[in-house]
Amino acid sequence: MRAPTDVPRRVAESAARHPWTLGLLLVILAVGVFFSPLLGTVSIAPATVLRILFHQVSGGALFADPCAGASVPASGCAGLIEIVWDARLSEIMLAVVVGAALGISGGTLQGVFRNPLADPFLLGISSGGTLGTAVVVVFRIGVGEQNLLLPLFAFVGAIGTGAVILVAARSRFGSVETLLLTGVALSSFLSAVLSLLLLYSPAGSLQVDFWLLGNLGALDWTQDGIAFGVVLVAGTLLATYGRELNLLQLGPDVAQSLGVDTRKVRVRLLLLASVATAAAVAFTGIIGFVGLVSPHVVRRIAGNDYRLVLPGAAVVGAGFLLAARDLSLAAFPGTLLPIGIFTSFAGAPFFAYLLFRRRGLSTMGTT
Amino acid sequence: MTGRSELALQLRAVTVRFGERTALHEVDLDIPRGQFLALAGPNGSGKTTLLRAVLGFLTPDAGSLELFGDDVRSLNVGERARRVAWVPQEESPRDNVPLLDYVLYGRYAHLGRLQGESARDREAAIVALRQVGLEERARDGILSVSGGERQRAILARALVQDAPMILLDEPTSHLDIAHQIDFLTRVRELSRERAVTVVAALHDLNLAARYADRIVVLSRGRRVADGPPTTVLSEELLARVWGVVADLRRDPRTGTPYLLPHHLVAPAAPVPGAFLGKGPVHVVGGGGSGEPYLRALSEAGYRVTAGALHLLDSDLEAAESLGAITAVEVPFAPIGEEVRSRLRTLLDSATAIVVAPFPVGPSNLPNLEEIRRMLGRVPVLLVRRAPGVEWDFTGGQARALEEELRRGGAREVSGVDGALAALAAPAAAPPAPLAQ
Repeated sequence: MRAPTDVPRRVAESAARHPWTLGLLLVILAVGVFFSPLLGTVSIAPATVLRILFHQVSGGALFADPCAGASVPASGCAGLIEIVWDARLSEIMLAVVVGAALGISGGTLQGVFRNPLADPFLLGISSGGTLGTAVVVVFRIGVGEQNLLLPLFAFVGAIGTGAVILVAARSRFGSVETLLLTGVALSSFLSAVLSLLLLYSPAGSLQVDFWLLGNLGALDWTQDGIAFGVVLVAGTLLATYGRELNLLQLGPDVAQSLGVDTRKVRVRLLLLASVATAAAVAFTGIIGFVGLVSPHVVRRIAGNDYRLVLPGAAVVGAGFLLAARDLSLAAFPGTLLPIGIFTSFAGAPFFAYLLFRRRGLSTMGTT
Repeated sequence: MTGRSELALQLRAVTVRFGERTALHEVDLDIPRGQFLALAGPNGSGKTTLLRAVLGFLTPDAGSLELFGDDVRSLNVGERARRVAWVPQEESPRDNVPLLDYVLYGRYAHLGRLQGESARDREAAIVALRQVGLEERARDGILSVSGGERQRAILARALVQDAPMILLDEPTSHLDIAHQIDFLTRVRELSRERAVTVVAALHDLNLAARYADRIVVLSRGRRVADGPPTTVLSEELLARVWGVVADLRRDPRTGTPYLLPHHLVAPAAPVPGAFLGKGPVHVVGGGGSGEPYLRALSEAGYRVTAGALHLLDSDLEAAESLGAITAVEVPFAPIGEEVRSRLRTLLDSATAIVVAPFPVGPSNLPNLEEIRRMLGRVPVLLVRRAPGVEWDFTGGQARALEEELRRGGAREVSGVDGALAALAAPAAAPPAPLAQ
């Protein structure tokens, strides 16, 4: 008989496959974040941008005059610093945070619903958020404070929709199918309410449209900080549920027989994914396809273990949204396209590819 | 951890309803530790419902259910998973997870919230894979292996779960005969090695009889039979619960009973006067008297059954040459209780009974006695005996019985043609049972 210790070593790698891929993805993302400020609506020399970055990061110790040699605008060097640091970098960080939130939420929902086509907006969260925005715009609530109120109402609308699904999930009818159908029904209902609202306020519809397209601009570090905090907490908690999601893939009954409190876990996962998505949606509007595509990319690279898929989807989602921002600026320098247009532009063909080549992409959902 | 009770599982008056339908009706059941119990019963009899109630997938509407001495309602999901493991009928995994990881899922209930699997867990998984003969395939994906291997991997996962009880729901229904035997043999060996209590819902009664210590039969949500395979399985049970006529034989080497199913019991006795169809006609004969009737009926398109007959009787040879099902006693012996019960089953499934003019002695007198029960339920045709031929060797008992049959509504017919005509014509239906 073979010594039992030989075998575990031989097969151990299968249990912990590709943890290094996660590290690699993180490095790529960090490089992306570092170089992204080079791109923007205003043309600034790359060397100046990098000097400004080092100047800011070091707290002014390095490159005492970062703008030396550059063509300085009327507002002086401080104006350039503001553009690079406050506008570009905060936009970049928001892209990272929102992308990560959408990616990890998408991965979670695909796992909970055992459906490769699930995305963070599946549960009507986007419609709820849109309605929240529309309420602020149409009823002119707190004019002048909209930078704060828009995200707040969007968040409340989004999380309110998620709460309805959660109530359904807690009930004894909370099967996966019921939840999906509830989400679909809720979405149409909220869309109808939205249409009705906008019918009485044609002017408001322009602002709501802009929100629907998703955008990263016009935000500051405070809003970044709020989004970052919420997403960090929700995302970290989500990432600890990889093992439960693995077991849920065997079906709710089998998972329960193995010790997973299926209903409780499902409710928690939906709650956390809703919070993360709502936080993202509140600040940027609806950005499609990031949540759908990112988990699939991770699966392709690192396998189907949700312990890797969840953090991986966060990193890939962040990278995806950042890349979308950079590409849109590189392709149309000087204009700030709504980012949602760009992700959908790239995401839609991928979605079609998913539908027709699902087998090659992932084993999920092919049995 | 697992209580003080000597019983692995105790059910008291457990009732489960699905809307109007009662799936389990006040079921009592005690399962001692270490037993291999097979749950049998037709589709919809409540086997799966019972297993699902134990697993906590559904909550009984009434009654109590104790797992190793503790009420299941007091156990949380994790505690329950450490006491009961489950092998479902079929699992459809979505991802091609390596078998080793798949088996490691079984450790979940033993791990802390953020605790990873240790080398020891991994070793336990390897050992379990070895026990089910899949050690070499530990790195293959669960979707890449055959159905039998997948089922064994699931068994390995249940073993790793390290629970003192394993529930199996039709674990072999998707396996071929070799894999069925292989799988159940492993389950039995493992249950003995590890003193694990096994409860398996099994459709195949022969497999149940061969592997289980005890068979519990459910029918319409009630426990209708319970005991070791040798006493539980009978032709009567099969006819009553499953509506199947079968031969019960015994494996000469092991004494294990096994069943050879034949056909379904006729759904219901025909209404008097209704068209009889070509359903089974039972011929009671002996000493060659039944042969012409068996052959003529068979030729006319009737399915026939015969008996009880003694081995070596020419009627039996005729019946077997026609493919008829028979109740058979050893030569010269009086008809015993087992054969008699089989005769009853055959009579119950018959749409008509033809009594050939057979010589009656003490050994085959039960043939006439059993027919009394059938009067008024199906047409009973008594073939007229040729005058002057001595046939009653029972000292008058047989004569008296025949007279009783005639009075009770049995119809006298002349010869083969008379019998055929009586069966074919609606007028041949028996008179309505006498008003009481």
